[in-house]
Amino acid sequence: MRLQLLALLAAVAGLGVSIYLTAVHFAGVQPACPVNAAINCEQVLSSSYGVVAGSSVPTSAAGILWFAVSAALAAVVLLSHSAPLWSRLQLAWSAIGLVTVLFLVYLEIVRLGAVCVWCSVAHALVLLIFLVALPRQRESRVDA
Amino acid sequence: MSKQPASKRPRPMRKPVSRTPAWVTPVAVVAAIALVVGGFLLIRWYTTPQALAPLKPDAAQLVVNSLTALPAAELDAIGQGSANNLLKPVSGTALTGPSGKPLVFYFGAEYCPYCAAERWAIIVALSRFGTFSGLKTTSSSSSDIYPNTPTFTFHGSTFTSQYIDFQAVETTDRNQNALETPTGSQQALVNQYDTGGSIPFVDFGNRYVFAGATYLPDVLAGMSWQAVADALAQPDSTQAKAVLGSANLVTAAVCRLTGDQPSSVCTSSSIQAIEKKLG
Repeated sequence: MRLQLLALLAAVAGLGVSIYLTAVHFAGVQPACPVNAAINCEQVLSSSYGVVAGSSVPTSAAGILWFAVSAALAAVVLLSHSAPLWSRLQLAWSAIGLVTVLFLVYLEIVRLGAVCVWCSVAHALVLLIFLVALPRQRESRVDA
Repeated sequence: MSKQPASKRPRPMRKPVSRTPAWVTPVAVVAAIALVVGGFLLIRWYTTPQALAPLKPDAAQLVVNSLTALPAAELDAIGQGSANNLLKPVSGTALTGPSGKPLVFYFGAEYCPYCAAERWAIIVALSRFGTFSGLKTTSSSSSDIYPNTPTFTFHGSTFTSQYIDFQAVETTDRNQNALETPTGSQQALVNQYDTGGSIPFVDFGNRYVFAGATYLPDVLAGMSWQAVADALAQPDSTQAKAVLGSANLVTAAVCRLTGDQPSSVCTSSSIQAIEKKLG
């Protein structure tokens, strides 16, 4: 249960990061971010991959949706004492998130050659939620 | 010795369902992801073009000659090509150069890949109004995005024209060491019109400005200077559509400054069409 609380907190933190990046996008200002040879938030966020393909919606807006659903799932799993259905849904949802994160990391490293720190924080939170959602081996008391 | 009551059952024992410890799966997932990210870094390293040694002056001049010899018909046929029109009209005091002619002012840096891309277009375009000399080849930074984009530098070059004046400031070299400092009036232009701080920044006589590159530098990735020049001679090439399209945008903005002079350049159908879009 404590792990689900961690997932809930991670989802809320991810929601905050996504809202910040979306606000920065629409305000037309640069996010607070160090710039060096490897890190450049502006290069990543202002690239063609900074928006959902074929739209002007920033990728971070999709992050808001994903983290909001993740927070809701973590809360439901927490309240339902890990009911199998909700746990499976959480695992599937977080797996979708993790695959998307891997694609975004591919774009950052291979296509753009720059990493966005804020994005990386959100990516790490997605990974954390996925790890919490993984089915765990349990010990049970059995009669000898 | 006392015997235990027969009714007392043995204490239940904790017995694992599986022998796999609980931490194994998460650690395996993290390790797999680390491997995938390592693979991405490897791909990046393998596909990053290497910096080429700058050409000797004679060889560089041959490339410049190729650029200035591009047929007008090809430029006309390409029009805006695949370039993005970043030109914005502004209404400042008319900007003139030392000789009193309309001034085109460029502000950039040698490390900057977007400047590297845009210089090709500026050289092609301005060469239709005058002559560059002393252009040297260089590449953008090896450690920035679009690394080692082949280009020229305006540092140490001169431009002569009967129609316009051209001033360029390259603030740093490709390793980001200080190179040139803008004058107070040049810095004032940057402060006034390049509020986003993007480079390259180009001011066309205070009538039009643009900041950033009108096409992405990856169009030139991994190419030598001569290979770029050869590609520009092929109207169907990706490079020609991007660079020459951008050059036509620059040409149209300059034509607005010169009152459509020379007419051999400015009255072409594609330049006229772009001029109408400029506002």
